[in-house]
Parts: sequence; C-alpha cells; structure tokens
Amino acid sequence: MSEEKKRRPEDDGQDFANAAWSIPSYLLSGMAIYGGAGWLLDRWLGTSALFPIGVVVGVALAVYLVYRKYGR
Amino acid sequence: MSVLAEVSGNVTAIGYGLAAIGPGIGVGIIFGQGVQAIARQPEAYGLIRQNMLLGFVLTEALALIGLVAPFIFQAI
Amino acid sequence: MNALTVLAADTPGEFGAPTPESLFVFEPIIPGVAWFTKPVLLAILSSVIVLGFCWAAFAKPKIVPRGVQNVAEYGYMFVRDQVARPFLGKDADRWMGLLLTMFFLVLVWNLMGVVPFIQFPVASHIAFPVVLAVTIYILKVYLGVKHQGAIGYFKNMMFPPGLPKPIYFLLAPIEFLSNMIIAPFTHAVRLFANMFAGHMLLAFFSMVGFWFLFEKLTPLGAPIGVLGVVMTIVFTGFEMFIQFLQAFLFAMLAAMYIGGALHAEH
Repeated sequence: MSEEKKRRPEDDGQDFANAAWSIPSYLLSGMAIYGGAGWLLDRWLGTSALFPIGVVVGVALAVYLVYRKYGR
Repeated sequence: MSVLAEVSGNVTAIGYGLAAIGPGIGVGIIFGQGVQAIARQPEAYGLIRQNMLLGFVLTEALALIGLVAPFIFQAI
Repeated sequence: MNALTVLAADTPGEFGAPTPESLFVFEPIIPGVAWFTKPVLLAILSSVIVLGFCWAAFAKPKIVPRGVQNVAEYGYMFVRDQVARPFLGKDADRWMGLLLTMFFLVLVWNLMGVVPFIQFPVASHIAFPVVLAVTIYILKVYLGVKHQGAIGYFKNMMFPPGLPKPIYFLLAPIEFLSNMIIAPFTHAVRLFANMFAGHMLLAFFSMVGFWFLFEKLTPLGAPIGVLGVVMTIVFTGFEMFIQFLQAFLFAMLAAMYIGGALHAEH
C-alpha cells in the first residue's frame, strides 16, 4: 500500500470503515470456500474429519488475508 | 415435579447464543478501548488502527466458528 | 394483528411465546389477491410517504427554509456529511439522490415498526431489503466494470497488491466470494435480521404484559406483567434507535460499495 502520498485524515477513516465492514465477509467466505471444499471431499472419500479441518483452515487463511491487506 | 418450562425447537440456536456472548464482549472492549486510545493519542492512529483490526479479526473468527460449530458436530 | 389473535393460536390457558409464523405471516387483505398483504400495503404506503415528504420539502425550495423543508434539509445534511462525503468524496453530490431516497425509504420502513396500530417493520420480510441490496449490487458491478474495465475490476478485486505470489492461489477465491456474494448478502441480512429480531422482542414483551395483566391477572403474575409493560416501553425506545441506526448503516454501506467501485482500492 502506498501510504505516504497525500493521505488526508478522511481517507484513513474511510479505509478503516472499509476494513471493519469487510472483515466479517472475508471470514465467512473463507469458511464457506474451504469448509465447503472439505465437506465435498468428505462426501466423496467417505471421511468425516475434512469439513472441520477445512473450516479452521479457511478461517486461518481469511485472518491471514486481512492481516496482510489491512494490518500494515 | 411438574414441568415448569420446556425448550422446543433447535437447541443449536441456544448454543450459538452462548457462543456469541464472549466475542460480543470482546469486540465491544476492542473498539471501546481503541476509540479511547485514539482520543488520548491521535498521533498513534495508524498503530492503534492496525492492532484494533487485528484484534477484531481474531475475535470475530471465534464468533463465526461458533456459527458453524453445530454443523461440524452434526457431521462428525 | 393484535395480541388476542396471536394468543388464540396457542394452547388456551397457558402462556406461549409468539412464534415467527404468528407474527410474520399475514392473510391477504383482499381475499383472492395472494400477494397483497399487510407488508406490501405498508411498503406502498412508505413509498407514498417518502414521495410526499420530499415533494412537500423540495418542490418549491425557499432560500430560508421553514416547516417541512427544514426537517428534510436536516436529513439531507446528515446523509451528505455522514454517509456520502466520507465515502464518495468529490462524487458525493452526484449520488445524493440515490442515497437520500434509500435512507428515507429504509427509515420509514423501519419506523413502521413502532407506529401505533401499524406496528410492523416492513424490512422484517427479507424480500424488501433484498431488492434494495440487489439494486446496489448491480450498480456496484456496473460502475466497477465501467470505471476500471472488466478485467481491471476483477483483477483489483481478486488480486490485491502486496501479497506473496503463491498465496494468491489460495486467497483469490476468498476475495471473490466475499466481494461478490457474501457482501451483498450481509448487506440485506443485517437490516432484515435487526428488524426481525426487534419485532419479535417487542411482540414478546408486550404479550407478557398483556397476558399477565389482562388475560390471567393473578397476584403472582402481576409483577411479571408490570415488568413486561416496562420492558416494552424501554425496548420501544431502543428499537427506534436501532431502526434509525440500521437505515443509516444501509445507506452507508451502499455509499461504501459505490465508492469502492468508482475508485480502485489502494
């Protein structure tokens, strides 16, 4: 992110609101994508552990995405 | 003893209600203290904002894990 | 729909909490016209109220505002300074028409929930918020493709700069799903769920008051009934605050999505 060039205080507030409102969406979609993939693999392979693992991995990836995107 | 009250319907809703208490308090504390910190030290805005968002993500993740926990326990 | 008809549906002689079916499912007003129920009537009424309000305020604007124009200009100032300008910057005035209409319409929809004898927030039927959210969604995609190009829009959305290369493969689906499906979904559901839960809460407390004070007045039950009435009054005030807040948030998120489509994230 190119932070240094002519940042006004309003821009910061706007970025913050953008980040705060999109965080739940990111977490939900991370869980939906990887949890859904795990669920489908469970049905295909006949296992039952991949869905919870997928959910946790999805949350972790979404947290990482938010951290890289907004956390610096 | 006669029945005084009973719960009908889906019990997982109660579970999510309980699971949402902690993250609710946590998010409140994060943003409350964050706004207070910004008011006390406006020049540290960038640092405070970054840590506020980080704490918010981690807390919100717990709330959303609580949302899918019933499905997980159904699947196992 | 008053408390008596709700109570009649339950087992007689016992207090039962209101169910969503008894609160949110209505008979058609004109028999035979299945779509014309109370929420539809209230939605039409709200549109007429907003139209009439804006007509009365802005049809013949005076330089020194008085009466209705004063109130409407206060609302306009609020939407412009709190919603449009922080998110749209110099484009704010172009989008004020849409944002002001949306704010007023959602506010009137929500306030229907506390008007005596009407007492039904229109937005607690999910179809109504979904229409507004889908409108904003189509507008968002259209503006994004128009201002950033079809490829540029999706590239800016799915591949934010500053990430290590192999991670894109894992994170691009999350970005796509979040921006394209989950964001408009939560946009509508946030308004719907708040209004739904608020209406359930008000109906529950007023039914507690009605049941323990009027239907079955007993020495033990009377304090609970008084508590129910007090909670109804407290929560009506709280609901009015929530209703205003949700209208503001709906317009604010709309402005945020439009602003995000106009300028690429940096």
